[in-house]
Amino acid sequence: MTSVGHLTVTNLRKRYGHAVALDNVNFSLAPGEFLTLLGPSGSGKTTTLMAVAGFVQVDAGSISLDGRDLTRLPPERREFGIVFQGYALFPHMTVAENVAFPLQVRGVSSAERQSRVRAALDRVKLSSFADRKPRQLSGGQQQRVALARALVYEPRLLLLDEPLSALDRKLRAELQWELRTLHRDLGVSFLYVTHDQEEALTMSDRVAVFDKGSIVQCGTPDSLFERPATRFVADFFGKSNFFPARMSSTSQSVEWEGGKLDYGTGASLPSGDQLTVSVRPHRLTLVKADAAPLNGVVTQRSYAGTVVHCLVRTHGGTDVLVESPALRGYSGIPDMGETVGIHVDRDAVIFLPQ
Amino acid sequence: MRARPSGWLLAARIAAFGVLAFLILPAFIVVPVSFTDTDYLSLPQDHLSLSHWQTLFQTPMWRNSLVQSFAVAVASTLLSALFGSLAAVGFMRMKPSMAAKLRLVLLLPLIVPTIVAGLAWYWVYIPLRLLDTYFGVILAHTVAGIPLVFVTASSALAAFDPRLEQAARSMGAGQVRVLRQVILPFAMPGILSGAVFAFIASWDEVVVLLFITSRNVYLLPRAIWDGINDNVDPAVAAAATLMISVTVGILLLQQLLSRRENGKAS
Repeated sequence: MTSVGHLTVTNLRKRYGHAVALDNVNFSLAPGEFLTLLGPSGSGKTTTLMAVAGFVQVDAGSISLDGRDLTRLPPERREFGIVFQGYALFPHMTVAENVAFPLQVRGVSSAERQSRVRAALDRVKLSSFADRKPRQLSGGQQQRVALARALVYEPRLLLLDEPLSALDRKLRAELQWELRTLHRDLGVSFLYVTHDQEEALTMSDRVAVFDKGSIVQCGTPDSLFERPATRFVADFFGKSNFFPARMSSTSQSVEWEGGKLDYGTGASLPSGDQLTVSVRPHRLTLVKADAAPLNGVVTQRSYAGTVVHCLVRTHGGTDVLVESPALRGYSGIPDMGETVGIHVDRDAVIFLPQ
Repeated sequence: MRARPSGWLLAARIAAFGVLAFLILPAFIVVPVSFTDTDYLSLPQDHLSLSHWQTLFQTPMWRNSLVQSFAVAVASTLLSALFGSLAAVGFMRMKPSMAAKLRLVLLLPLIVPTIVAGLAWYWVYIPLRLLDTYFGVILAHTVAGIPLVFVTASSALAAFDPRLEQAARSMGAGQVRVLRQVILPFAMPGILSGAVFAFIASWDEVVVLLFITSRNVYLLPRAIWDGINDNVDPAVAAAATLMISVTVGILLLQQLLSRRENGKAS
C-alpha cells in the first residue's frame, strides 16, 4: 500500500460572528488510519471536517497533506473523497453516471471509465443497479453508491460526514462492518465524523472527542474508555457515575462517599483539592446491605436483555447506576425499595478533575 | 362509497363550469369565424371555407409576420431562459437579505403595466436608434421574459441541496462544470416551464410592439391589430386561431413534459 495520506491539522480557529466554532484544533492522521471526530452537535467536529474538505475557510491555522499546505486551496483541488450526510447523489444521473462523474472530471477515457465504474460498483455489490436513478434505491444502497463514487478516483483520504446517521439501527451495524472491511482492503485514510459514541468505539483506530470547539481528548477507543481525561469524556464516551471527592490532607488518599481510597504511588491525580471519583456502571456490584461502605436504596430497575440496570439512591443522596449481568430475568436482582450495598472495584475507579 | 353531491355542491359545480366557459369561449369564437364563407367577420353562413386560411399562408404580409413572430419569440425565449436561470443561480448564492431586495428589481417587468413599459421602451429606443429593429423587439421581449424564467427556475432551485454542489466540487469539478452538469440540470424542469411562459408572452405581445415597431418589424399580433383596424378581412380570424393553437399546443407540450418528469419521480 502507498504510504501517502498523512494529514496534519494545526491550530485551527474559526469564528462565526461572536460564536467560536473552532478553538485551536490540532490532530494528525497517519496513512491508512481510521480517525473519528466525535462530539455532540455544535461541538465543532463537522466544521473541522468541512475545513479539511475546503468548504469552510478557517481564520487561523493550517491543514497539510504529506507536507503540502492545503489551507488556501479550493475544495476541487484537494483530491479528497467525501461521503456526505444524506449522500448528495446527483438526482438527474443514473448510479453509473454518478460514479463516473469524478472520472469524467479527470478526463479519463470512456472505456477506462466504464471498467472502473463497474469495478467500483462491484466492490459495493451494486453492479446490477447501474442504470437506476438514486431515488429508486434504498437508503443503504444510496450510501453504497456514495461510497463507490467517493472512492472510484482513488483519493488519498476519505472524509465521511455522519454517513450512517439516516439509516436504521440494524442497517447501520451492517454498514459499519462494510466500512471497516473497505477501510482495511483499500488502505485509504479515513476521517470520520459522528455523534454516535458506539460507532466511534467500534470502528476507529483513534477517536478525537470534541467539546465546545476543541478536542478534549484524542486516543484509541479503549484508552478513551478506560482512562477518560475529563468528566465530559467519561460521560459522553459510555456512561459513568460521578461522586464528589476531596484529597485527604493527612495521608495519600482520597475521601469520598464510599470511604477512603488509597491512590498509591505513581498514580496521576488531577491537581487541586477537590476532585471527582468516576466509576463505570458495569464495574459496580450489588451486595448485601452493609457489606460495603457504600449503601443505598434501589429506586429504579430496568431489564435490557443481557443486563439489568438498577438505579440506587445512596444515603449520601447520589443516584448511582449499576449494571449487572442478567442471567434469568430479574432473578438475583434486588427488589425496588430494598437497601443494598454497592461494591466498588478499586481498579475501576477513575480520578477526574472536578 | 362516494357520497351523492348535495344540491349546493351541484350548483357550485355548474357555476364553476359557467365561469370557465365564460373565460374560454370568447377566445375560441375565432375558430369557426376563420372558416367562414363570407368576406367579412362572421360565423359560416352556407358552408365551411378554407379561403381565409389560404390568404393567411399565401399573402406575403401574413406569412412574413408569422415567420418573424415565431423567430422573435424563439430568440427572446432562449435569451430569457439563459439570463433568467443564471439570475436564479446567482440569487441562490447571494446573502438572503441582499437577495430579497434585488428580487424586487428583477420582478419589476412583471409589475410595471405593459403600456408604461411600451412608453418607456419607446423613449429609450429613440436615442439608441433601436426603434423598429429586431434587436430592439427581442431585447424588450427578453426583459419581459426573464422574470418569468427567474421565478420558475428559483422555485426549482429552492429544493437544491447545497451538498450536491459540495459533492461535485470535492470530486474535482470547477464552478463552470458544477453549473453545467449539476445545478442547471437540477433546475431544468423549472427553466423549461418558465421558458414556455416567456415564449407565450413574446408570441402574443402587442402593446409594446405598437410603440416600438412600424413597417420594418411586422409581427403577427401587430398584423392582426392592423387587420382589425383597417379592414375586416376574416384572415384575421385565421391568424388568431393559429396563435391560439400554437399557445395551447405549447402549454400541452409543457404539461406532457412535466407529467413525464413526475412519472419518473414516483
